Amino acid sequence: MAAPNVRTSSFSRNISVVSSSPQIPGLKCGPNGTTFISTGIRDLDRILGGGYPLGSLVMVMEDPEAPHHMDLLRTFMSQGLVNNQPLLYASPSKDPRGFLGTLPNPGSSKEDKPTAPDLDQGESLRIAWQYRKYMENQKSSIDDYSNDFDMRKPLERQFLAGRPIDCVSLLDSSDLSVAEDHCATFLSKFPRLCIISFLFDGHLLLFKLVNSSNIASIGRIAIQSFCSPLCEYSDKESEMLSFIRLLKSMLMVSNAVAIVTFPPSMLSPSSSTRLQHMADTLLSIKAIPDGDKELEKLLTGYKDINGFLNVHKVARINTQVPVILEAKTFSMSLKKRRFLALECLNQAPVDGSSGTSYGTSGSCSGSSKSGALDF
Amino acid sequence: MADSIFRKLRDGGEEGELAPALTIEETVASPFALDVSCYLLANLSSSILAGKSKSEGLVLVTFSRSPSFYLQFLKQKGIFVSSSSKWIRVLDCYTDPLGWIDQPSPGVITEGSSLIKLHKCVSDLKRLFSSIIEAGREMVGDGKTRFSVAIDSVNELLRHSSMPLVSGLLTDLRSHAQVSSLFWSLNTDLHQEKVTNALEYISTMKANLEPFCPSSDGKRNALENLFLVHQDFGKGRFHIRFKLRKGRVRVMSEEYHVDQTGINFSPISSVETIIAATKSLIPKVHFNLQLSEKERVEKEKVVLPFEHQDHGKSTEIYDGRRTLADGKTEATPLSSGELQADVVSSGKGGEIIYFRDSDDEHPDSDEDPDDDLDI
Repeated sequence: MAAPNVRTSSFSRNISVVSSSPQIPGLKCGPNGTTFISTGIRDLDRILGGGYPLGSLVMVMEDPEAPHHMDLLRTFMSQGLVNNQPLLYASPSKDPRGFLGTLPNPGSSKEDKPTAPDLDQGESLRIAWQYRKYMENQKSSIDDYSNDFDMRKPLERQFLAGRPIDCVSLLDSSDLSVAEDHCATFLSKFPRLCIISFLFDGHLLLFKLVNSSNIASIGRIAIQSFCSPLCEYSDKESEMLSFIRLLKSMLMVSNAVAIVTFPPSMLSPSSSTRLQHMADTLLSIKAIPDGDKELEKLLTGYKDINGFLNVHKVARINTQVPVILEAKTFSMSLKKRRFLALECLNQAPVDGSSGTSYGTSGSCSGSSKSGALDF
Repeated sequence: MADSIFRKLRDGGEEGELAPALTIEETVASPFALDVSCYLLANLSSSILAGKSKSEGLVLVTFSRSPSFYLQFLKQKGIFVSSSSKWIRVLDCYTDPLGWIDQPSPGVITEGSSLIKLHKCVSDLKRLFSSIIEAGREMVGDGKTRFSVAIDSVNELLRHSSMPLVSGLLTDLRSHAQVSSLFWSLNTDLHQEKVTNALEYISTMKANLEPFCPSSDGKRNALENLFLVHQDFGKGRFHIRFKLRKGRVRVMSEEYHVDQTGINFSPISSVETIIAATKSLIPKVHFNLQLSEKERVEKEKVVLPFEHQDHGKSTEIYDGRRTLADGKTEATPLSSGELQADVVSSGKGGEIIYFRDSDDEHPDSDEDPDDDLDI
């Protein structure tokens, strides 16, 4: 960092050097100086433009009728453990450690068929130069950034043993102070911004916030079912809102990502909207009705779809330009009954004027069938 | 179908899983949750007695009706409860929920009174939980045999305790190894939507009763509305939502009809629903894909500008100039600056005004214009 030297001009410009390849595996450089970590699902990484950016808050709106938010949490936590990133997990159950037993294992590489010929063969094939980079990309189905998780196999012991995993139960605390303390101590291990102060002619003190160019380690926080009716604090909405605000402010100065799932129908509409606004990345899960003949006609692959994932907001840090996605609704299914896949829906044209407001897809009331396709 | 709920409750859950739980929701306009509970009670009791059910006993916790009401009802259905019955226990929270009466009144001797345990102090939910489990264990012993629990009405529970405690109690019951299934009823008009949502969150099945004609919403202006409500009071729709394991939701509907003997279910008979279903299959676009009846008739009437129509005579079509054979001056003279175009007017009878491409063209010139080329 710039040390205060004796100079003719006390004003020195500090150009932060962005390293092209980060030192630690599991990170990817993104636009505008952000760094991404993998979500655990390759399709979701692609949809979000790389993954979750460091320092962002991801909120997932649950559907009380579908358990798919657990899959999002599981892949997120497993990815962190595979990449050796410390984890903090909080849930409203008596024994949160038990959840770690349900985490999926990365799918074995032997089963992946190589989709492109080896590079050695490519030498003899005389591929035009601009196509080489596509060949290389195709080859790296196994890389250290993200993994394809086999939802059926439990995570191997080597990833669980000896890793710093902190589990907190949200059940017994009547307020959120326990959770706040855990988050604060956890996030203090991953500081991102350091404050440099230097003198200006001996009179003024200039403070400068500088990005630490060496990212020492990354943390992941997963909070499940934050507003669950089982928790005692669930009727204290202002406390819940201030907890999330605190978490978000701590995240902004840390090299960590937090994912919080909550059922929006458990809150009053105004609190639910406020929580949604606080999110940097906002996703929601919607259950799919079973045995619905209309949907079967409208969607291809209806039988394999387990639920819908809507992407409402994608995090944009250090820029004002929003991300406009081609499609906001994806179907969640299990490929080969093991690997989570998110696909765009193939369906007949629907009324383009049905706008998405964040909260509508979170409703759990038995509304009419056209409500299921509210996107 | 109400039968499918009964079967789900009868079969209970698998080992290691939480017990299936049903919420029966009623409103002021269709206050028949009691009838539904009695229906389920009768069916469960007969299946327990016949040995067809996974559970071997039933604990009934009564809040809104006295135990003798239920025993009477079961007697009506042909199920006799005596003091030596080993399959049912009743926890009486109706007579004295808050413990105001010190001594039980001597005149009250009911059949099977040894089965009925008076429970005071409803607000202490931990004690209630242990009494329920104790009553169950009295019936089935301590081992692996299971029993079902029926809670008369959760409204009274919510009156005395807060939502997190009540959901805690219900979830504890669900997770107890010896409880095979559980159901309760709720009047949704008495509580905020959050409460209803929270109870739906912790249950696996939700049944709600909807009257045929919509409730007046406080606008009691039309007398005829009242008459309709009165006429259709005992009838309505019964909707069920099941949460399936994969994350899908099964929705079923039936019609119900309440009379002296209880509640009867029948499949939906109205034709309107079928039409509504097909209508929603058509994609909602901004243009009109369907023709109304009037539009269809008009379409038939339109005379197309072809000279050879199918009906055997050649049609005279006004073509912008006066033919030699035609001396009438029927149409208004058109200005010569008129563009050569086909205009479909949308007036009555659907006129088509046709202008020929060129004046040289003879009428009915189907010949190939290249025929006069001599090559």
